[in-house]
Amino acid sequence: MTRTRVALLLAVIAIACALALAARAPAPTNEARADRLAEELRCPVCQGLSVRDSPSETARQMRELAAQRVAEGRNDDQIRDEFRASYGDWVLLAPPLLAWSGLVWVVPFALVVLGFVLAGGLLRRRQVSEAAPTAAQLATLRERVANDPGVYE
Amino acid sequence: MARVIRYAPLVLVAGVIVVLAVAFRYDPHDVRSAAVGKPAPAFSLEALEGGGRIDLASYRGKVVVVNFFASWCVPCRQEHAALANAWTRYGGSGVVLIGVLYQDDPSSGREFMRRLGGGWPTAIDEDGRVALSFGVFGIPETFFIGPDGIIAGRHIGPIDEATLATGIDALRRASLSPP
Repeated sequence: MTRTRVALLLAVIAIACALALAARAPAPTNEARADRLAEELRCPVCQGLSVRDSPSETARQMRELAAQRVAEGRNDDQIRDEFRASYGDWVLLAPPLLAWSGLVWVVPFALVVLGFVLAGGLLRRRQVSEAAPTAAQLATLRERVANDPGVYE
Repeated sequence: MARVIRYAPLVLVAGVIVVLAVAFRYDPHDVRSAAVGKPAPAFSLEALEGGGRIDLASYRGKVVVVNFFASWCVPCRQEHAALANAWTRYGGSGVVLIGVLYQDDPSSGREFMRRLGGGWPTAIDEDGRVALSFGVFGIPETFFIGPDGIIAGRHIGPIDEATLATGIDALRRASLSPP
């Protein structure tokens, strides 16, 4: 029985390993890498277009440069940094998180959190105002009832 | 907490006003070049006339003005007289003007320079790599490089004589004054 279980366990592990290996994404080709980088870069002479999508001459030259750098064996960060050295973070369509431009990622979330905090505060205040009356309020009410009981009949 | 809630809209509106007040002070078309304040990218390009090469490094120690242009670019035609006048005024006094023909056919560039006049060294940026390394957005674009090889300023669009003189004089003064 134990031997059967061990064999079953080993078979399951083997199948899991085989599936994991099969599911592993193949290394991207140079062409795919250059294409992805071009998609990340902003075309300097267009309005909100990536270098990949722009038909401009400048974008074509940038695509060629990216492809050449990939072929030379540079990694993605080195290629991005080369464009950033000339055009700054502006050239990246998705600004890096650890920079001033990264505020565009942080501010919306911060505002949502702030909104929740303020809404929570408002709700709590409303609950407090609708809660049981204070001792002073009760005393005032009792006094008014005692003075004029007919009013509350 | 109640006080925070009471003043939150006021703070938010004030924040928006401050952001807008600061943002409206800047021209949205003037994206600051990351190249300014850094060493000018080295280049050695084929000269438009004469068949030689133009090497930026050979002008180290001088004030260099690099102007990216093309013959098909109308604003480049407009600014050409200002560049010619600056070359006449400063060319003999340690200031170098380098024209860089960008996204253009060399024969058209030669024709442009012959027709409008010039005389300053002009190079051909055939594959646009030099323009990309300077962070050129669109021509005409002019860069002021100090004798130390650092890019001190950039002008986008057609440049006039006063802007050229201001940029060149500032760099000349800085290079003459003791550190």
